[in-house]
Amino acid sequence: MPYKKVEQKFSGKINVCELGVGDAAISIGGENSLPFLGTEGFKTAVGIAISDTTDEWADCFGTIYGDDLKNPAALAKAAVEKSGADFLLIKLESADPNGADASVANCVATAVAVEAAINVPLVVEGCKNAEKDAKLLEEVAKALEGKNVVLFSAVEDNYKTIGAAGGMAYGQKVAAESSVDINLAKQLNILLTQLGVKSKDIIMDVGSAAVGYGFEYVASTMDRIRLAGLGQNDESLQMPIMTNISGEAWGVKEAVSTIEDAPEWGDQEARGIGMEVSTAAACVVGGSNAIVVRHPESAKTIKALVAGLVG
Amino acid sequence: MSKFMVIGERIHCISPAIRQAFADRNPEPILLRAKEQLDAGADYLDLNIGPAERGGEELMQWGVKLLQENFDNVPIALDTANMKAIEAGIQVYNRSKGKPIVNSADAGDRIEYVDLAAANDAMVIALCSGDGVPANNDERIMYCSQLLERGMERGMEPTDLWFDPLFIVIKGMQDQLVDILEAIQMITDMGLLTTGGLSNVSNGAPKHIRPLLDSATVAMAMKCGFSSAIVNPCDRRLMETIVACDIIKNNILYADSVFEF
Repeated sequence: MPYKKVEQKFSGKINVCELGVGDAAISIGGENSLPFLGTEGFKTAVGIAISDTTDEWADCFGTIYGDDLKNPAALAKAAVEKSGADFLLIKLESADPNGADASVANCVATAVAVEAAINVPLVVEGCKNAEKDAKLLEEVAKALEGKNVVLFSAVEDNYKTIGAAGGMAYGQKVAAESSVDINLAKQLNILLTQLGVKSKDIIMDVGSAAVGYGFEYVASTMDRIRLAGLGQNDESLQMPIMTNISGEAWGVKEAVSTIEDAPEWGDQEARGIGMEVSTAAACVVGGSNAIVVRHPESAKTIKALVAGLVG
Repeated sequence: MSKFMVIGERIHCISPAIRQAFADRNPEPILLRAKEQLDAGADYLDLNIGPAERGGEELMQWGVKLLQENFDNVPIALDTANMKAIEAGIQVYNRSKGKPIVNSADAGDRIEYVDLAAANDAMVIALCSGDGVPANNDERIMYCSQLLERGMERGMEPTDLWFDPLFIVIKGMQDQLVDILEAIQMITDMGLLTTGGLSNVSNGAPKHIRPLLDSATVAMAMKCGFSSAIVNPCDRRLMETIVACDIIKNNILYADSVFEF
């Protein structure tokens, strides 16, 4: 029998989503096949993560950024320069009512200053308190109207506020966070769409885990989301995926333990980068259209990986 | 598995309003029925222009263009006894959302509809009947095999033939419905796709009973592998049953608001 090459054709296609404005704008998504098997899409965007609260960050970041570490705008500029990232994510961690509980006004001022300091698209991450994030991301959306930023992320308890403000009133992009729950990912997309947010303005934040910490579940979740969007042409799951793995990767013992804690494990910075690169690479091949890391070396490595795969 | 494919049956020349609209080339009633069906979840629209012995080619082209231009190239089942009209319709058909479906062939007088589909890279609904309604499943499978062979000889993919086991009406032939389900299972086990005019089952039953009978039939048929049906998508009970069965079969992903999307 002669060999017949069978190519799986999908009826669905992932939405193209544009982030940022003008020359700095980038677009993610657009593929109509599983990751890196097609000709369209797949230039995974790589983002660099910063935070307004860096006290707990590993010592290596002090070496890299120096005093900029305490100044989000300066840190943003340095992070983009050192990493060559396609976009930047600022986490407004200080807003957390169980932490520093910084005012919404202060956090919004930080986001505005960061946006002004960089020439790449911006993603603004809340503090992960649903009630505070509703107010915070609503005000961020308002203050940065016209900048096409990503509000990262809406959850079931605050999607109405964030969706209405970001996706409708102020023309931003809205990420929907589903914490590795595939049914919730679909549910949030349906809810946001019903609210009136356009599909092309929605990004899925399906969550992640550091490799070795239940990543199999992340992989199967991404796989099923993509197969539903492409194979079943499920329009409620055709949004691009953005994954911020920086917190997970730098939060496990392999990255947290200092050289004094675990001398046999070697250099802490190399371990952290290792965790981050392996996790990010796994997400990229799993289907993330945009990946966010903390260390500039991780960003460069993932960019090189994507460039190598896309050719 | 792919999700169940719903072919909306409501643009049919048996309806006086539609027949008149065809005669007058009046788009409004046709567009209205198309929109209702698509809003209700139809994947394909059946365009039945009747025997259309005179002017069928031009009418089919008009209908295909009308529906596709107004509904983002919606895929269509071209339904008439006039083969030239089907061919004419395919000439103006845009395939971006799916191949055209020729409705329909059988293993008797209408075997050439398979040739028509093959020659035009279309799909075809293949009735498992010959010169009469099949008496039992041996006959159904024999007709199915004849149609399959005919298509494959002419270069068709087996999955471009949608086999219709011919649903029978409960009132009068109740004892045979289980056979139909078995036929669907047998055809599915051969790796083939099935479809059928589901509403036959409840024909003649009171209006409030029909959705229940149709829903139960589709659920049991889907368990046997039934992959498509020609139905009235505006029957909410039926459409909800199809979605629920698709979820249970893992054909579509569950979400709490899945019925509202």
